[in-house]
Amino acid sequence: MSQPISVHNLKAWYGTQLTLKSVDMELPASQVTAIIGPSGCGKSTFIRCLNRLHETLPGARVEGDVHLGTQDLYKVDPVDVRRMIGMVFQKPNPFPTLSIFDNIALGLRLGGVHNRGQLREAVERSLQMAALWGEVKDRLSEPATSLSGGQQQRLCIARAIAVQPEVLLMDEPASALDPVSTLRVEELVEQLKDTYTIVIVTHNMQQAARVADETAFFLNGEVVEFADTTTIFTNPTDKRTEDYITGRFG
Amino acid sequence: MKKVSSGIKTADKVFHVATGIAASSPVLFLLAIAAVVVVQSIPSIRLMGWHFITGIEWNVGNTYGALMHKNGVTAAAGASFGALPFIIGTLASSVIALMIAIPVALFTALILAYRLHGWVQWIVSILVELLAGIPSVVIGLWGMVVLAPFVAHGLGPVLTHVGVLIPYFRGPVGTGMGLLTSGIVLAVMVVPIITATTRDLLQQVPVLYREGGIGLGMTTWEVVRYIAVPYIREGFIGAIALGWGRAMGETMAVLMVSGNAINFLPHNLYSPISSMAAVIASQLDSAMSDGSGMAVHALSELALVLLGLTLLTNLLARLLVSRTHHRRQGVRA
Repeated sequence: MSQPISVHNLKAWYGTQLTLKSVDMELPASQVTAIIGPSGCGKSTFIRCLNRLHETLPGARVEGDVHLGTQDLYKVDPVDVRRMIGMVFQKPNPFPTLSIFDNIALGLRLGGVHNRGQLREAVERSLQMAALWGEVKDRLSEPATSLSGGQQQRLCIARAIAVQPEVLLMDEPASALDPVSTLRVEELVEQLKDTYTIVIVTHNMQQAARVADETAFFLNGEVVEFADTTTIFTNPTDKRTEDYITGRFG
Repeated sequence: MKKVSSGIKTADKVFHVATGIAASSPVLFLLAIAAVVVVQSIPSIRLMGWHFITGIEWNVGNTYGALMHKNGVTAAAGASFGALPFIIGTLASSVIALMIAIPVALFTALILAYRLHGWVQWIVSILVELLAGIPSVVIGLWGMVVLAPFVAHGLGPVLTHVGVLIPYFRGPVGTGMGLLTSGIVLAVMVVPIITATTRDLLQQVPVLYREGGIGLGMTTWEVVRYIAVPYIREGFIGAIALGWGRAMGETMAVLMVSGNAINFLPHNLYSPISSMAAVIASQLDSAMSDGSGMAVHALSELALVLLGLTLLTNLLARLLVSRTHHRRQGVRA
């Protein structure tokens, strides 16, 4: 069951540096929201505040509130937040000491699933959703690092969705991948949005245009414009958005 | 074309020779020491054969009486060199030290690497490294004055209750000078070594992998248990082997708290023991008075066994640490 996320007056710091200056956003359920903007605009920081990953860095601090449905995420245990909100990172990061199977099964085991049959089933289902099953079904016990970069990233997606979160955050999930793998990840996002609320950070405006229902343009830690993707790319209201999407800076 | 002066050429030659000597000296030293120890051991090896490592009796013999001829070598009458108690003393005390040091070092390293930041981390790191720099004789003194009485009157009597389950924990506790105290003293010396290496290894675990775990909803402990520790496993084993080598070779502190047992195998956790290193240090003076020279040869053989064991653990350590580095390079996506 996917739920909307609402963000109010969210501020984030690295040490004394304010990287997010009061962000307010309503991210609709079962849709893909893209976050675009130049490097250092706070887009990664923003999604890392949604699953409370930002605060794990030394010296980092967050203020404001984030609700998933009706639940205030900053009033519950961050571990529980991250079980509800999965994340896929910029670089593929499968657990290097574990097999393909165990990379996905670990989250399930820690969540209390120990039955072998159930585990196998869940692993297969997640890998199929991540469009990786066909490529790895005969080599599940091999190390995850034996996969190519694109496969590793799809494995990370499978790992994130195996524990059945409600939201999937993707921090430039294709930036380290080749064009073919990028396309596969984008197709995957398209398929997954029925089941999950997806927030995807991207550098690549074509990618945002291809996959996102809504797009937010971030600049210097603020949301400049947030609207449906077509509007942002064809008829932006803010001059800065227009300058950015037409390639005048960024 | 201007000719290079002969002075410069000579200087270059001197430079080549000097760097050559300097660079090869560690190898030469190791070979020279090994050669001396081996050559010095030969008479003792001929006299005792395998009994050297299986025998319990260590007796220089009557150094003022007649000489004894056996297996083509000469020794004082009644001489017997059985080093088993010292070999066991070394192994047992160092293994106890590791059993105490490994969890302490691992948790300290985890806190240093992941929990503390900024100047607090810096200060605690410095403190750990200072601990490594304390002269062993100082730690030995602390062992004698503070630890041994505590083991005799506090810790020992408590631990004897475990004797119901594990026979080695049964009393009598004795004076406190013995195996357990030696193990604890060695643990104090080994903890900083394992901690410093493990901290460095943990800091090298890419944050990307740890965040992968955190992002999946793992607790701090789960990230450590399933991601960080498996990632550094070989290196950590290597760090343990380094610490083990250190514990086996430690002389002074053990000598001060071991109880100097001779001709006696430890029968419980509190028994007096002697380690190979401590025996070499404490017996060398009287061994010099053996006219046949056999006592010195026997101590050399003891040194040979010790050298072999420490080299073996060190080699193992290097091998394991370098394997971790290789894998880390292979992983980079």
